[in-house]
Amino acid sequence: MIDAELLKGLPPAEAERVLALGKRLLLTAGAELFHLGDAAGSLYLVARGRVRLTLPMQVRHHEEDILVEECSSGQTVGWSALIPPHRFTLTAAVPLETEVIALGREALNAYFAAHPDTGYAVSVNLASVIGQRLQLFQAMWLREVQRMVELRCA
Amino acid sequence: MEMLLMGAALAMFGLAVSCLAFGAATHEEPVMEQEPALGKEAVKAAAVNARFFAAVPALPVAAANRVPIEALLLQIENHVRLEQAAAACFLESPSADVLHGRTISPLVN
Repeated sequence: MIDAELLKGLPPAEAERVLALGKRLLLTAGAELFHLGDAAGSLYLVARGRVRLTLPMQVRHHEEDILVEECSSGQTVGWSALIPPHRFTLTAAVPLETEVIALGREALNAYFAAHPDTGYAVSVNLASVIGQRLQLFQAMWLREVQRMVELRCA
Repeated sequence: MEMLLMGAALAMFGLAVSCLAFGAATHEEPVMEQEPALGKEAVKAAAVNARFFAAVPALPVAAANRVPIEALLLQIENHVRLEQAAAACFLESPSADVLHGRTISPLVN
């Protein structure tokens, strides 16, 4: 069983039941898991391998996918599936053979409705994942603003 | 006659000085010969920059413009990773000093 950040604190048997709701996907190197703007119907737990999350940026008049974040085994990708408006705000692709567990929103919501304690624990874990990433990007953003201010005042 | 020759000699001297001054003012540096060397230097520096957490030389703006796009994308990717690592350090021990610690990323140096 994978040590998933989303299932932290759940008893192993309960974590297995949640994982059993999903479907294992094997992605070959270079495959795209989802694309920016797609409807987000599933979130993904990385079982092995690596997922690159990118956003488009103009580099020398060409649109290039620029790395924003990388997720590896145990991490959660695509939490837009559980958060309205359920649209992916990044593109996810794999640089090497990668296995993920796709958990559909409807299956998860139905399970959480029937098992509210599990739903609560997973929601807290999800909030923690989102919160950590928010804090990380706040700090990165402020570092860029600081550099911009230094350039302007130089 | 002597005055005429002296005048002619002074006129020739003045013309020679004017030619030298004009030549110096319109002289161009042999730019084309320098560009390939700068390009090689830029590619070499970009290749060095591909290493993680290694001390890297800052590229001059002209050289940065000549970095191949693949190397530039690699620099951007390394910059993002370095910034994430710096931000993660800040989250582990939050302080203004850690938040604004200098980066070695060649993209901003």
